[in-house]
Amino acid sequence: MQQKILEIKNLSKNYGETVALANFSLDLEKGEVLGLLGPNGAGKTTLISILSGTLRGFTGSVMFKGQDLFADRNLRNLIGIVPQEMAFYEDLNALENLMFWGGLYAIPEKELKKRARELLVVVELSSRAKEPIKKFSGGMKRRLNIAIGLIHKPELLLLDEPTVGIDVQAKVSILDIIHGLGQQGTSVVFTTHQLAEVEQSCSRIAIMDKGTILAQGTLAELIRIVGEKEIVEVSGEFSADAFSAIIRRSDGNGMEILSVADHRAHLAFADSERIPAMMQHLFKHHLPIADLKIKSPNLEAVFLKMTGRSLRD
Amino acid sequence: MSRTTLIIKNDIKRRLKAPMATILFLIIPLAMTALIGMIFDPGSGGETKLPPIQLLLVDHDKELASKFLIGAFNQKEVKDMFQVTTVDAASGEQLMKKGKASAMLVIPEHFSDDLADQKPTALEVVKNPSEEFLPGVAEEFAATMAVGLSAVAQVFADELKIIKSASQLELKDISIAQMTPFLEMARVKIIALQSYLSPLLLQLKASTTTKPGETAAPKGFNIFSYIMPGMLIMFLLFIVEAFMREIQNERADGKIRRMMFSPLSTRELITARLFGGWLLGVLVCFLAMGVGTLLFGIDWGNPLLVFLLVLVSCFWCAAFFGMLNAFFKNKNQAGAFASPIILVFAAFGGSMLPLEQIPQGMRWLAQFTVNNWFITGCRTIIDGGVPYLSFTVLSVSGLVFAGVAMVALQRRLST
Repeated sequence: MQQKILEIKNLSKNYGETVALANFSLDLEKGEVLGLLGPNGAGKTTLISILSGTLRGFTGSVMFKGQDLFADRNLRNLIGIVPQEMAFYEDLNALENLMFWGGLYAIPEKELKKRARELLVVVELSSRAKEPIKKFSGGMKRRLNIAIGLIHKPELLLLDEPTVGIDVQAKVSILDIIHGLGQQGTSVVFTTHQLAEVEQSCSRIAIMDKGTILAQGTLAELIRIVGEKEIVEVSGEFSADAFSAIIRRSDGNGMEILSVADHRAHLAFADSERIPAMMQHLFKHHLPIADLKIKSPNLEAVFLKMTGRSLRD
Repeated sequence: MSRTTLIIKNDIKRRLKAPMATILFLIIPLAMTALIGMIFDPGSGGETKLPPIQLLLVDHDKELASKFLIGAFNQKEVKDMFQVTTVDAASGEQLMKKGKASAMLVIPEHFSDDLADQKPTALEVVKNPSEEFLPGVAEEFAATMAVGLSAVAQVFADELKIIKSASQLELKDISIAQMTPFLEMARVKIIALQSYLSPLLLQLKASTTTKPGETAAPKGFNIFSYIMPGMLIMFLLFIVEAFMREIQNERADGKIRRMMFSPLSTRELITARLFGGWLLGVLVCFLAMGVGTLLFGIDWGNPLLVFLLVLVSCFWCAAFFGMLNAFFKNKNQAGAFASPIILVFAAFGGSMLPLEQIPQGMRWLAQFTVNNWFITGCRTIIDGGVPYLSFTVLSVSGLVFAGVAMVALQRRLST
């Protein structure tokens, strides 16, 4: 049995009347890379803030390696955080930044310098170690942000949207780093609203919305929730109400509505042969359809089924 | 290395890497000091001379005493100070209304007679309201003349009567026999006056005491040493404020959150920030003072006292802005409020105007500004004194602000 590194039980946090986390529970094993998938406002950043000890006023418990995370300040030194913001000094170079942030953990200078140089290799910045960060691209800055979170050799790394605002190539590079960390035994929790990212790099995925976990498991386990259904994405100049009204007038046998929003809807069909009949029904009622996509069961379908809305909404 | 030292070292390193903002704030007060100093003292650092005071003189008397008074303005030293134009009353009033003169001295009718008869009389000085300093000099000079004339009139009352009665006679009515006693009395008095006035029996001699073994150096008034402390403290406030505002920037961009996740405590962070701001202020201040000495020949006075004054003043600045940043919600609010606060301090504290030029009713506000205590402290040290009051006010209020900053910032940074 794998050692549990993190056990979160019934974590709740409200901002006035707004519920940010509602009885949120989650376990994480050593070396596991967990992708926390959820739309904006799902409570991902609130969770990271609580785990990093910078947000108070919550209920529930967080155990780290079997101990209360907030009872012993030293336990937090075993956790690394990579915030969504580029939280480092742009007027220093990469090496100087690593030395400064590592210095806060009172790592001896010689050891710190060695660790900094190792990390610069890991995040592929060793050749740019002494260049001003102002000259770095967005992807390079994101990689440095991760390196700073790793400077004190944490056993658990929390990453808050580590791939926001960077190009595809840089994303792939960062996801490779995250994947590699898991293989080296570092547990990772990273939040994102990019389905492809968690599919690519996570050993486990948790879907959260409105402050709670809706489903969790491996990619294959989650897809089984949708079943062997064909997913149809319909888009066009229609309203959600108009689409729903037309759908209600069909017989609807063997079809499941995953999500309906203005201009876009998702339907799941157990029998793909029923798709043409449904399309005919929509055209017959003059629904202005611009595009139609048929997809195999995937994580997006799971997310749509669980949350009733697309990650883009 | 402690975490506090690490943060201070990092902050100083960052400022050395991008020093332009600090250098600019350092150059501006030096440039302004040079500019203002050169306007008021084209000789750059020598003895300061006032421009000649434009004085209008209206003589309603035209007798002996008024001629004596007008003659006094023709003396060499007085002539350098006053440019006297004799006018009639109407044109004098017109010229004053147009602001063509600093003051108008009106000698009343029967001035000489009244003096000779020991009757009270008054010289009138009309001052130009748009000027503050030069009309005051004219008034002081006229007051001194009035005191002198009063004394002469009282001491030599008998002689004045004889002179007056002689002047009222027709020339054909005066015989040598009648004149002889007057002439003899006049001769005696003139001889007596000469012994009093030429040379002056009593003279004022100014000197400065020196310590044994030191030679006395002539010390003139250096206008730059009058201007620079005000400019320096104003821009020091800008420099320290910009440094302390980093707290807001780091809160906004997540650095504080990241720091708080490390073993660093809020107390260590605030101490580092206060100490860093203090240290930066001290370094900049000494650099500016050194440049001021080299460029403008400013003698700042006792180095130990200057060091202490700079220490307490910079500590005050760091503590004050540390405290303000605990109450500002974000960097925009800090930016919007800090500059007006500094400018108000500068206006009422003596950085923009000499304290003496601030309207009397508003002068009490200066006591609430660091500018006032720094400027008066510098002047006291330059004049050879010890600014006990500046030391006390700045260190006590600085400690209070630092205490409030520590408590309020801890609360702010932990949310």
